[in-house]
Formats: sequence, C-alpha cells, structure tokens
Amino acid sequence: MAQFALLLYDDPSGWLKLSPEEMQNALEKYTAWGKQHFVKASQRLAEDAGKVLRSAAGKPRASDGPYSETKEILGGFYLIEAANYDEAVERSLGHPHLEHGTIEVRKLFGQ
Amino acid sequence: MALSKFENSSGSKQTATAGALLEHTFRREAGRMVSYFARRVGPAHLQIAEDAVQDAMLRALQTWPYSGTPTNPSAWLFRAARNAVIDALRAARLHGEKAAAFVRETSTLAGEPPFEDGFEDDELRMIVLCCHPALTREASVALSLKLVGGFGVREIARAFLVDEAAIAQRLVRAKRQIREQGLTLDLPREQELSGRLSAVLEVLYFLFNEGYSAHSGVNLIRAEFCSEALRLARLVAASPVATPQVHALVALMAFQAARLPARVDDNGDLVLFEFQDRTRWDERLIALGFWHFDKSIAGSEVTEYHAQAAIAATYARASDPQSIDWHAILLLYDQLLSISTSPVVALNRAVAVAKVHGPAEALRTIELLDDHPKLKDYHLLLAVRGHLLRELGRWTEAADSYRNALQRVCSEPERRFLQVKLEQCESQY
Repeated sequence: MAQFALLLYDDPSGWLKLSPEEMQNALEKYTAWGKQHFVKASQRLAEDAGKVLRSAAGKPRASDGPYSETKEILGGFYLIEAANYDEAVERSLGHPHLEHGTIEVRKLFGQ
Repeated sequence: MALSKFENSSGSKQTATAGALLEHTFRREAGRMVSYFARRVGPAHLQIAEDAVQDAMLRALQTWPYSGTPTNPSAWLFRAARNAVIDALRAARLHGEKAAAFVRETSTLAGEPPFEDGFEDDELRMIVLCCHPALTREASVALSLKLVGGFGVREIARAFLVDEAAIAQRLVRAKRQIREQGLTLDLPREQELSGRLSAVLEVLYFLFNEGYSAHSGVNLIRAEFCSEALRLARLVAASPVATPQVHALVALMAFQAARLPARVDDNGDLVLFEFQDRTRWDERLIALGFWHFDKSIAGSEVTEYHAQAAIAATYARASDPQSIDWHAILLLYDQLLSISTSPVVALNRAVAVAKVHGPAEALRTIELLDDHPKLKDYHLLLAVRGHLLRELGRWTEAADSYRNALQRVCSEPERRFLQVKLEQCESQY
C-alpha cells in the first residue's frame, strides 16, 4: 500500500450561503468520509494565507502566501492509503469536498 | 414525522454520543445562540450576533472534518461564537459599557454554554421581539424562522415560494425597523402583555398552519415549520407569561401534529381523516395535547384556540371513526363560528353538518361561501362540494366540482386524490 496526500482547496466564502442545516449536512458527509478505513491522518491548516519564502537577488525574503490573487485556499489535508493512483483517485472521488472545492492528490515519495 | 423531531426540539434532556451530532443540532444551536448573544449585545446589534453564529459554524465546518467532531459540539460552537462576538465588538469599536459588560458576563462561560433555562428565557424574549406588533406579519414569520428557528434565507424562500432576494430584503427591513424604533427584548408587563402574547400566538399559529397545510408541491421544510411552531409554543407555555390561551394553542398543535404521520399512506397518497390508521397517530403528542388541553380550561376566557383544540380533542377521543361524537363537534363549530369569522371554519363545519343533518343540509351551508373572496380559488371548497354532491348521487355535478378543484393550486397528493374521486364519479354516468 502506498500513501497519498489529499490537499483540499476551497473558497471559504462559498460556505456562507449555506444554512445551519445545510452546514450540518455537509459536515456529516465529511465526517462519514473521514471514518473510512483507508484514512490514516488529517490536519486542518490555519485559515490565513501563510508565508512564502524565496530569494530575490540572492537574499531570502518572506512574503505573504500564494493566495492573495486566488479565492481558493488550501484548507487542510488527509493522508490515505491506496494501492496506486487509480485507487487513490477512486477513493477521493466520493469526497463531499468536491461539491465545494478541489482536491489535489499527491503520492508520497518512496513507497 | 418522527416524534424524535419534536423531542429534539423541546431542547434539553438529550445527550449526544460523544463526537456525533443530533438531528438539527446546528439549526437548533443557531437559534439559541443568536437569541443569547442578541440579548447581550442588544437588539440594535442583531447582525453582530447573527454573523458571529454563522462564523462559528463556518469554523466548525473548516475544522471538524480534520480533527473530528468535538465531545461537546454545542460548547465548541458557543465558545467560537462568543469569541467572534468579542472580535466584532472590537472591530466596531464598541468599547463602551456594552462591550465591557459582554466580556464580563460571558467570560465565566468561556468553557460551557449557559444552562438550559438561560437559553430558553433568551429565546422567549426573542420570539416576543420577532412578533412585535410594529412589524408586519410577513416580517414576523421570516424573523422568527431565521433568528429563533435557525432556518436559512433560501429555505424560507423555498417554503413560501417567494424569491430569495425578497426574503432577504424583508429581513433587512425588519432588522432596520427594530434598530430605528428601538424595539427591545424586554418582556412586556401586565396590560401590554396580553396584546403582545396574542400577536405571538397568531404568528405561531400561522406558522404551524403553513407547515401543516402544504398545499403546493411536496415540501419537507414546511413539515419542519410545524415542529418549530409547536416547539416555540411549548416554550411560551412553559414560561411565566403563559395563559390558558397559550395552552389551548399548544393542545391544538399537538393534536394536529399527532395525526401528521397518518395523513399520507405508504404510497404518499392522501388519507382522509375518517380512514386514517389510528395506530399511526402519535400517542405521545396526543397525550401532550390532552395535558395542555386540561391546563387551557383554567380561567373563563374562551378563545378560537380553545374551540379548535376542543374539536381536535373530540376527534382524538374517538377510538374508531364510527364513535366520533359529531353532535359535540357540530356544537363546538357553532361556538367557534361565533368567535371566528374565517370562511375556512365555516367550510370545515359543513363536514360536521353533513354527519349530523345529512349532505343536503351541508350543501346549503356552503352555498353561502361561494362568493367569499377568500375562498374563490380554494380547491378544498370545491372538493367538499364534490364530496357532498357525490353522497347525494348527483354524479355529473360532483364530477364538475372535482374537475374545477383540479384546476386550482393544490399539492401533488391532493391532486391524485381528487383525480381518483373524479374518475369514480365519471364511471357512474
């Protein structure tokens, strides 16, 4: 079994249109998905845009995160197990997040 | 509708399994928290309370999928909303006494939400504000559903078949009115109380009927309006401001809600009251109805709710359709007609008249309703007429009535029901 990182991007303002009942329904779908046997870990990221470090003219410099121009931000990630990309994708296709945003699937190196 | 919905909405006594949510937790908590925070920041800053609650739920949505549902979801949401209120007060530079008092009052509650009675008192005040006579009926209904019921704008719009923007506008205008006219969350005293209470009951009864008689389309949210109206009425009934009239309304709602599960069969087809499977009536709601009905008898005032509840109680007492006391029901309708001028009451009375004096007499009583502006497009007037003509063997006229009824607005189950009746009449000539 290989391990895959699922990176979840979404535009948080999209959630604001939901009623409390709809929010709970969405939440319950996420929770149910996360309880499946192949989900090994999950972590939310803080909602700020973070920092990006890069060198300019040989000098390292920190600037505000990559999200200033896009609405979708990386909100968190899951670590799942799957035999290969096909299975990883198949397992992610049922994720309720796809109703709201996008998921990037990346295989962990060396497995 | 399962009883659990009504039990959930009665609030307290339930405990969730750790890490799981009860049905409608978010909707229920939204109403409780908005009421709680609005009282602390003042009704002029309702928006702060609403935004903070939404913010808390959004945070939950961004966090719980990764960290799991917390052991006490309500406490988590309450904490998040409280922090959002503090942030908003700071951002709005409400540094004054209000902000300081808010932080002072809620800091001891940072860990846990307040006790159940605290919430209930806040909700009661919020309902009374939402139903303030200075606001229009439409505004009161929308406000109650949004602020206390925790329903979303889209849900309210869909249920009333109104444009989403129109509901949003209605809410904005009502909140502006609250702010500009300085309406408060104070409970009215003695003389003013009974008038304000009547306004509250009127809105709740309207809300209940909207849910009960979903006349167009298939609409689940409307059924939830029923349970919400019953929950709020029970809340008023349990409060110190309760009067016998309040108990009469709760009894009426409970009896009617008890019959909801029997109103449609497994195919989703309409079942007339007489043919309903009584084992599907909700016994606990009927018991609740009788409990409040007993309390409603105290005092001398007989209101419309009393008469309606008495009619519903008479139906509930009959163990089978044959033993319904139609004479008693007709007397109660006569009494009701002396209090209420509603043509729908007169129409319902005709059903009792038919049972006691026969269909010909009943037909005469509803002829008087033909020109009533409120009943002009009412499919049930035509359906009742069709039914009475049928009993008299006047098949062609009965078929005409059913055909006319089918051209009016009605729900899908009602449409199928009328269609069957029409075909039965047509096969007779």
